[in-house]
Parts: sequence; structure tokens; C-alpha cells
Amino acid sequence: MAVGHEPRIVGFLCNWCSYAGADVAGTSRITYPPNIRIIRVPCSGRVDPLLIVKSFQMGADGVLVAGCHPGDCHYSEGNYHARRRLAVLRPFLEYLGIERERLRVEWVSASEGRRFSQVVSSFTEQLRKLEPRKGAEVEVSS
Amino acid sequence: MNATEQIVAKARELLESGTVECVIGYERATDGVNARPLFVYQAEEAGKLIFDQTCAHNLAKYLLNRKGKATAIVAKPCDVRAVNLLINEHQVERDKVLIIGVVCPGMVETKWGRVSEKLRQACELCREHTPVVYDFLVGEPGDEEAAVEYPDVARMEALAIEERRAFWEKQFSRCIRCYACRQACPGCYCSECFAERLDPLWVGIRIAPSESWIWNTMRAFHLAGRCIGCNQCERVCPMNIPLSLLNRKLEKETLELFGYRAGVDAETPAPFATFRKDEKLEVGE
Repeated sequence: MAVGHEPRIVGFLCNWCSYAGADVAGTSRITYPPNIRIIRVPCSGRVDPLLIVKSFQMGADGVLVAGCHPGDCHYSEGNYHARRRLAVLRPFLEYLGIERERLRVEWVSASEGRRFSQVVSSFTEQLRKLEPRKGAEVEVSS
Repeated sequence: MNATEQIVAKARELLESGTVECVIGYERATDGVNARPLFVYQAEEAGKLIFDQTCAHNLAKYLLNRKGKATAIVAKPCDVRAVNLLINEHQVERDKVLIIGVVCPGMVETKWGRVSEKLRQACELCREHTPVVYDFLVGEPGDEEAAVEYPDVARMEALAIEERRAFWEKQFSRCIRCYACRQACPGCYCSECFAERLDPLWVGIRIAPSESWIWNTMRAFHLAGRCIGCNQCERVCPMNIPLSLLNRKLEKETLELFGYRAGVDAETPAPFATFRKDEKLEVGE
């Protein structure tokens, strides 16, 4: 672990549950680590694996995909599709040398502000134990 | 009759009767060693067709250029699974394709103008010799089928994660992004590939390992649960990047998680096209 390194997390939050959950955390004054950069997406099913791979390419230490609990998707089944895709993407990334713990999928409902805070805290702690990742900007070859 | 004679006779019959407009098969290339694709439109030209262990191309890719037109195709077991994939994904209509399936002895390496005895790597690992579906079969169907195994993938998985990262960084750093892997792949038929998008620019045009990394990662992942393992991508790669190691890892994962192998039939929905509500999947919650 590098001294003074703060993990950078890209968080893709579904508009209907998890983004609202993060909002509840804010309005309830529940603190969570500032390591997460939140991107609002219409549904966890919208999170193309390309977005995740691109995040890792650009040097993200971790990617969080958060959506409605299975069965609660605003679009009925988006999160089921997300779950399948990401269940395959995680071992695949690990095969390429990116630890599977760096990609996390969580189900956070619109009322679970506290849970959102806990998820971000535990994810940040988990990433602190891993080596910092190098981003694309330091890899330019001559 | 040997395989070539059977194919020639069948092609002639199909063209003369007007059952199909075109037969896609193989002919001897001008180097006298390799095979190359041949499109036969006239019954008189059917005599040019050949089949032997140099016919490594997957001709299913060419069906995409003949949508809606009656076409016969000479297909090995892996090629037949590619045809199934295209039918499953509504790219090709089953009743427009006549499959001349060939019992496959495995394809051999051809190098430096010579045919070697050595089987291609994909063929060495392959356990399928009879096509899963055909309208006409060339050769005698053998006893099928041994279980699919992934010894090459298992060897990679056994390495430490840092070693794997270093391995792939080294492999991808050689990629010149000619996109030959995509052009040869029967599953890569998007009219606009993400690699060609300029806004957003997913794959930058600069020469940098990270750009090759994202290309190779996503090319493989777009074929997750779709790759039929014909290994055309690796065959055409001018830099000899072991792409089959990526494809086969995803094949193994989708087989283990969803019990699915692409192209075995044309009806079962692909793993990412469907889901089960009650399934337990490890996603890191």
C-alpha cells in the first residue's frame, strides 16, 4: 500500500434506487468517504461493461455498480441483466490481472442511505489494502 | 468418394437445380499450399472446390453478405456453430442457408509455403468432429463427444495475479490494432464497432498499451457467451497474440455459470440475452 494513496472509486448509481439512496445519505447527514465519484445512470442494466473497463483503463482503483434490489428494478429486469454480465466480467478482469474485489455490485434501495454509506466505506477500506493502480496517462510509450 | 469429390458433386447438383444461387467453399490458393474462400455461382465452376486439412477459414462470416439469398456453405463443426450463432442472433435465416457439413479431421498449420503435420492449436483442443447440424454431410460421423476441457485456461489461472497482469500487458503491447481479429470473426458484425466511435472515443488512436488493452479486453468480452471457438481471430493475428486464451476463459465462465455453449443449437437464448430471477451469482455484494 502506497503511503498517502487515496483510492479513487467510480460509482455508477441507478437513478431510481441507489442514486436516491446516496441522496438520502446526504440529506440525513450520514458521512461516507469522498473517494467515490458518482455517475448517475438510468439503470444498473445501462452499465455497459465498456464503461467499467474504460474506468479501469483510466486508472480507477475500484468501480462500484449499484442498483435496485433484484425484483425491484424500475424497468422490471435491468438489474438481472446487469448481474449476469458483471458476474462474468469480474472473473474475466481477474484473469487479466485486475483483482475481482475492485469491481463491486451492490443493491441499494432509495431508503437505504445508511447502507450506501456502509458500502462506500467498506469498499474504500478494501481498496486501501490493494496497490494503487496506474492510469492510462502514465503509460504512453515512445 | 473423398470429401472434395462429394462437395463438388453436391455443389454442382445444387447449382444446376437452382436450389441455391451460390456455394461458398474453398479452393486452392495461388501459392499452391493454402486454401482460400471460393464463391461458386455457376455449376461449371464447381470443380474448383476442394476440401482438405488446409481449409482453416470460417466461411460463416460470408453469410452476412448474402442475407436473404439462398446460399450453400461448406462448413466444419466450428463453422456450423458459427452459422447457428448467426441464426440465433437473427442475422441469417435458416431456410436460406444450406449447410454442407464436413466431418472434420482438424486443420493443420501451413507455414513458409509448406503444409505441416502439426494440428492447429484450436484443433488440438477441439473434441468435435461431426457438425451439430447439417443438411448434407460429407464423411462418416464418428463417436461423439468427449467433454470440453480448458487446460490452457487453467494454466493461466494458476499464475499469480501480478504475473497474469504482466503477461497480458506484454501481449497487448504488441497489438498493432489492425482489427484483423474483428474482421475474421463471424460474431463481430456490428455496423459500427465501438473501436471506431469518435465521440466518445473509447479506443484512442495513439500508440499506447492502455489503448490496446481496452480494445482486446472489450473485443473478447463482446464475445462472452457468443464465441464458438473457431479461433479465426488468433489465426489472422499478425502479432501472434494468444487471443484464444481470452475467448476460452469467457467460454469456460459462461459454461460453468450458465451451462451454455454458443452455437450448439440455434434456439437457446445466449446467456446475456436472458436471466433467471432466482439464480445465485457472485458479484461481490
